[in-house]
Amino acid sequence: MFALLKRYRELILVAVLLLVPLGVFFAHAKAPSDRSRLDRAVVWLATPLEKGIGWTIGGVMRGWSGYVALRGAHDRAEKLAVRVQALELERQQLLAERTEAERLRKLLAFAQESPERRYVGARVIGVRLGTAGRQLLTVDRGADDGIARMMPVVVADGVVGHVTSVSASSADVLVLTDSTSSIAVRVDRTRARANVRGLGKPDGAKLEYALRTEDMIEGDVLVTSGTDGVFPRGLPVGKVTQLNRTGHGLFQDARVIPAVDVTRLEEVLVVTAWERSGDLLPAALAPEAIK
Amino acid sequence: MKPVAHVLFALALAGVQAALLRWLGGGSFSLALPAACVIYVALHGGNVDGSISAAGVGYVMDLMGGSPKGLMTFLAVALFLAVRATSAAVDVRSRSGFAALSGLGALFLSVGALLLTRYTAPPEAAPGAILLPRILGEAVLTGALSPIVLAGLRRVDGLFHREEAGLLR
Repeated sequence: MFALLKRYRELILVAVLLLVPLGVFFAHAKAPSDRSRLDRAVVWLATPLEKGIGWTIGGVMRGWSGYVALRGAHDRAEKLAVRVQALELERQQLLAERTEAERLRKLLAFAQESPERRYVGARVIGVRLGTAGRQLLTVDRGADDGIARMMPVVVADGVVGHVTSVSASSADVLVLTDSTSSIAVRVDRTRARANVRGLGKPDGAKLEYALRTEDMIEGDVLVTSGTDGVFPRGLPVGKVTQLNRTGHGLFQDARVIPAVDVTRLEEVLVVTAWERSGDLLPAALAPEAIK
Repeated sequence: MKPVAHVLFALALAGVQAALLRWLGGGSFSLALPAACVIYVALHGGNVDGSISAAGVGYVMDLMGGSPKGLMTFLAVALFLAVRATSAAVDVRSRSGFAALSGLGALFLSVGALLLTRYTAPPEAAPGAILLPRILGEAVLTGALSPIVLAGLRRVDGLFHREEAGLLR
C-alpha cells in the first residue's frame, strides 16, 4: 500500500491539489464564506506592501506634479495674469453697463407710468454743486431737443429740479437743493401744503410755510402739489425730518431729506409736456361743467 | 522552500499589481501577473514543488482577486498541468515565448474562471461574453509585462542555487 502511494505520490499530490480546490469552489460558490485565519494572515502580509507601493508611487507622482511638471509654470502664470487683468477690465465694463441698463430700465418704467407726460432723456455731463454759486447740473440736451426753461427734471425716485438755462445742445438744471429753488409740495399723508427750499448744499432742504396747525410728523413723504405751475403733481420730493413746532408763530420748521441724491445722478428725464392741474379735475368738477 | 518563495513572490506581485492598477487607469484595465508565475513554475519547476507553487499562487490569486475560494487555485493547478503537458512539445526559452505563453495562461485562467462562475452563479448574476474584450486585453497586457516577472522569478530561484563542490566553471 505504502509502496503504491510512494510510487504514485506525485500523481496523487497533483490530483489532490487539483480536486480539493475544485471541491472547495463548488462548496462555497453558492454561499461565499468569510476569510479564514490563514486568509487574513496572508492579506495582513500583503497590506503593508500595497501601502508602501502606493506611498512610493504617490510620492513620485506628487514630486512630478509639484516640481517637474511645474516647468514653464512661470510663463503660464504671467500669461494668465495678463488674461486675468483683461478679463477683470471686461468684467468691470460689463458691471457698469449692467448698472446703467438697470437705471435706464427704471427710468423707462417711470416714464411709462404716466403716458400723458412727454419726456426727453438726458445724460448729466456737468456737475456744479459747490458751496459757492448755484447748485447746477448740466445735461446733454438743449433747445434743439425741445428743452425749454422751467421744464421739470425728474428721475424715477423723484424731483431733481428744473431747467434754468438752455443752449442749443445742453441745458442747466437748477437742483431742488439750491437755495433759490422753491417747490410747492403737499404732505402725502394729510395733503397739508408747504414749500421745499434748498439749503445750498446737495443733501439738504428745508420746509417753508407749513402752518403750525397742520398735522405733520417726521418721516412724512412730501410730493409736488402742482400748484407752482412748474412741476406735475404727485412727484416725490423728500421726507420730513427734524420737525420743530414751537409754541408760538405761524409756521412750523423742518428739514427735508431730498428723495433724489443729486450727487449720484447720471441720467435724468426732462418733462417736456404734462397734465395741468385743471386737466385732472373729474368731469363733474370741470369749470365748463360748473358753468 | 522554493514554493514558499514563489508564493511570497506572487503575493508581492499581486500587491504591486493592485497598487499599480490603483494609480494607472484606476481599474479601466486589468492584469493577471501571477499567471506568469504559474507558467514559470510549470516550465522550470519540478512536478511536486511546481504543483505546490502553482496551488499557492492560485490561492494568492483567489485571496487578492476576491474570487470564490478554490476557483483560481484549481485553475492555476490546471494551468500548471496544461503547460507541463505542452512544454515537452514546445520549447520555451526566450522571453518572447514566455510572454506569449503567459498571455495564453492569463487567457486560460480568465476564460476558465468565466465558465466556472457561469456554471455556478444564478443566471441573472452570471458573467457574460461582454467580458471577453477585457479578458483579451488582460491577456495581452499580462503577456507584455511577463518578462519582468520572469526576471524577478529568476532572481528568486537564484537565491536557492548552490554551487556544487569541486565543479569548475
